[in-house]
Amino acid sequence: MSERRIFEHPILDFDRGYEFYFDFEGKKIKAYEGETIASALYADGLRKFTESKKLERPRGFFCAIGKCSSCLMSVDGRPNIRTCVTLAEEGMEVERHGPKAEFPQTDVGRGGERKKEEIEIAVIGGGPAGLMASIVAARNGSEVHLFDEGDDLGGQLVKQTHQFFGSHQEDAGTRGIDIGKELLEEARDVGVEIHNGSKVLGYYPEKKITIESDGRLEIYDSQGIVYAGGAVENYLSFENNDLPGVYGAGGVQTLMNEEGIVPGEKVLMIGSGNVGLIVGYQLLQAGVNVVEIIEALPEIGGYQVHASKIRRAGVPIRASHTIKKAIGDEKVEGAVVQKIDENWNPVKGTEREVECDVICLAVGLSPDTGFLRQADCEMDYVPELGGFVPLRTEDMMTTQRGIYVAGDAAGIEEATVAALEGKIAGAAIYEELHEETEDTRRSKEEAKEGLDKMRKGPYGEVPKQGVKTCTVDEEVCG
Amino acid sequence: MTEKYEAVIIGGGVNGLGTAYHLGKKGFTDVLVLDKSYLGYGASGRNGGGIRQQWTSEDNIKLARESRKMFERLDDELEEDLEFYQGGYLVLSFHEEEAAEFKENVKLQNKLGVDSKFLSPEEAKEIVPELDISDVVAATFNQSDGTIYPFKVIHGYADRVREIGIDIKEHTEVTDIVTQGDEIKKVKTSEGNIKTDTVINAAGGWSSKVAEMAGAEIPNVPVRHEIMVTEPYKRFLDPMVISFEHGIYFSQSEHGNIVGGIGNPDEEPGLNQKGSLWFLKNFSDTLLDFIPRFSGVHMIRQWAGFYDTTPDAQPILGSVPEIERFYQVNGFSGHGFMVSPMVDKVTAELILGEQPSMDIERLRVERFEDMDLEEEGGVVG
Repeated sequence: MSERRIFEHPILDFDRGYEFYFDFEGKKIKAYEGETIASALYADGLRKFTESKKLERPRGFFCAIGKCSSCLMSVDGRPNIRTCVTLAEEGMEVERHGPKAEFPQTDVGRGGERKKEEIEIAVIGGGPAGLMASIVAARNGSEVHLFDEGDDLGGQLVKQTHQFFGSHQEDAGTRGIDIGKELLEEARDVGVEIHNGSKVLGYYPEKKITIESDGRLEIYDSQGIVYAGGAVENYLSFENNDLPGVYGAGGVQTLMNEEGIVPGEKVLMIGSGNVGLIVGYQLLQAGVNVVEIIEALPEIGGYQVHASKIRRAGVPIRASHTIKKAIGDEKVEGAVVQKIDENWNPVKGTEREVECDVICLAVGLSPDTGFLRQADCEMDYVPELGGFVPLRTEDMMTTQRGIYVAGDAAGIEEATVAALEGKIAGAAIYEELHEETEDTRRSKEEAKEGLDKMRKGPYGEVPKQGVKTCTVDEEVCG
Repeated sequence: MTEKYEAVIIGGGVNGLGTAYHLGKKGFTDVLVLDKSYLGYGASGRNGGGIRQQWTSEDNIKLARESRKMFERLDDELEEDLEFYQGGYLVLSFHEEEAAEFKENVKLQNKLGVDSKFLSPEEAKEIVPELDISDVVAATFNQSDGTIYPFKVIHGYADRVREIGIDIKEHTEVTDIVTQGDEIKKVKTSEGNIKTDTVINAAGGWSSKVAEMAGAEIPNVPVRHEIMVTEPYKRFLDPMVISFEHGIYFSQSEHGNIVGGIGNPDEEPGLNQKGSLWFLKNFSDTLLDFIPRFSGVHMIRQWAGFYDTTPDAQPILGSVPEIERFYQVNGFSGHGFMVSPMVDKVTAELILGEQPSMDIERLRVERFEDMDLEEEGGVVG
């Protein structure tokens, strides 16, 4: 495939800026305004970006959001640059430096005084939970600063081209990308100060947070925090699972739906939960061949409506199957899958080779709670919510007074739940710092009713039980 | 359930495990090592791995010298690559007065068989070309100093200790030490009671609490010290670089990361193990003063541990006057790792009633009754 960029898409319109070139190890690489270095290199066909530090195994495009360090390269002489979150520029010189770079040859300077600011409310994470919390607190009169490491806010919504459904939610029938845009607009309207490209590094007592923005450290001293940092994708153990070409569903979505670049030609999807089914369908929309979807459970994990769309497109979904290994030296060239029995043991003699250049993992999420641990919030292991989650009150306050949580960081559910939890947290933090208003009272009430509705039925019962085990009375909070 | 051991070691750090190792080597294996958390949870798993012989007190120089020799053989003994890298320690001075002391220190170190050298700023720059030496007045350097990877030492010891037949129990907190008259009878833990008449207090920052349980008094005070690590680079820095005046130290690990810390002179004593903003700012600012080219390097983690400090910054070894067979291996004041091999050997010898390989009389707790302490001046971080 010579061109990996998507130019025609049934839903998305990739409005590319002007075309230019940068230098990669002596070769001219085409890029468009707004593209990251990693995306442009990927579009050009590069698979090996660096090597792992200890075993020097090939590393390629992976998380796409600046977290995994698989894309570190030298840019204009500066080593260890995360090329997946660094925009390509005309005339830039990019080269690979392998597992370890040479110590910088130049002093890039200190950049003057560090930014240090006293603020009222810090909301961390600009997905549905963080946006909603910001909106509610700000419209009641709080000074709210919303921090997100991405350039575009909206969290995972910005990658969701599918329509949300359900009879009881306002957003039914709206595509994720549009919900994200609407929330962002509303946040701006009510005066939320938005800090995009701002990565939260750490928590320091009392309620101080450090941020990296444009390569600089910033310190914010807050009175209250809503943490809505979302989730991290689960990984799967199998031979060669670190080969370039094995991706998480999130990375594939970023590449395909934000950057407009297809991940490969033939994709093997692991996992038939809603994420696996939806991303599988998005791949088809982008013109990629999904060779099959395999599922370890004896039945499909996601909603029937998503599975039917996939099946209608001729993609087989095979239950009671797992991946045994990825094939390839420098990149994925295939995979071996096999059947497993009811006790999850592989069935001998059922190994089968699948031809593919991408293995996409959609095997669930875990709450991203490192920040809350740093802040000494008490945690509990709740499998129904995807792992370790903070104890919280019905008002979403953690065991540290003044620190609230909302969204997937509080437990893995879906976007509507995240927004409802954000609404509660935003109202509650305003009440803690000021007083109850008609709006905060109503927001909490409506959101709690909404949550009750969301946590009904066969899919709602599991999180409902999980939430029960980690909800505590306010007396436990510090 | 009551268990019984000939000796109980409190603390699964380098000195607790090292003492167990030396006891075991001599066939004394009815020993239990306890840690309230995981092995190396305290300072042993939180330090910068520095191995230095350039000290100012005779006892520390000797302990460090013998320990360095033992570290050189420890790979073979523990059958593990401990990543002992002898790139030297470069000690920088920024004042004439201190430089004069450095000259004296080198003399004493040389007399005691440590091959340190007094250097001009230019000679220091030859060893670390990236250094900004504009304010440096003098330096000392000792090639056989270096760094080691603490976790590998801890787990190397733990593996050998278990092989020898000594028991290790993690996540078992000592809650009391029961005595009768001046004899130890029992150690109470969160997991049950243990009968024993011999206890070794190697509890690092928690040592004075443990001593108190037995009714003994030691003057140790835990003080937080912080440390960080950067992303890895190809080897460019051979020695550990330190300055007493700035309280900073930094070196490059075998994995390529820069590991370093800086002491906060205003740090309040206490059992606080959290990283601070003070450290984040002051370490990076000071590091850039030393090597400006660090400006483009990313710090990837910061953390903290304790210096178990004593009034003279020297360790407390041997038994105590109040209680029989209650041995102290603590109070290392930030240099417990680098002297551990010799300290642990001698402690094992004392427990077994053997002639110690080195005279440690001046390091007993009784010294604090004298007003005339010889303070170790070479503490950094």
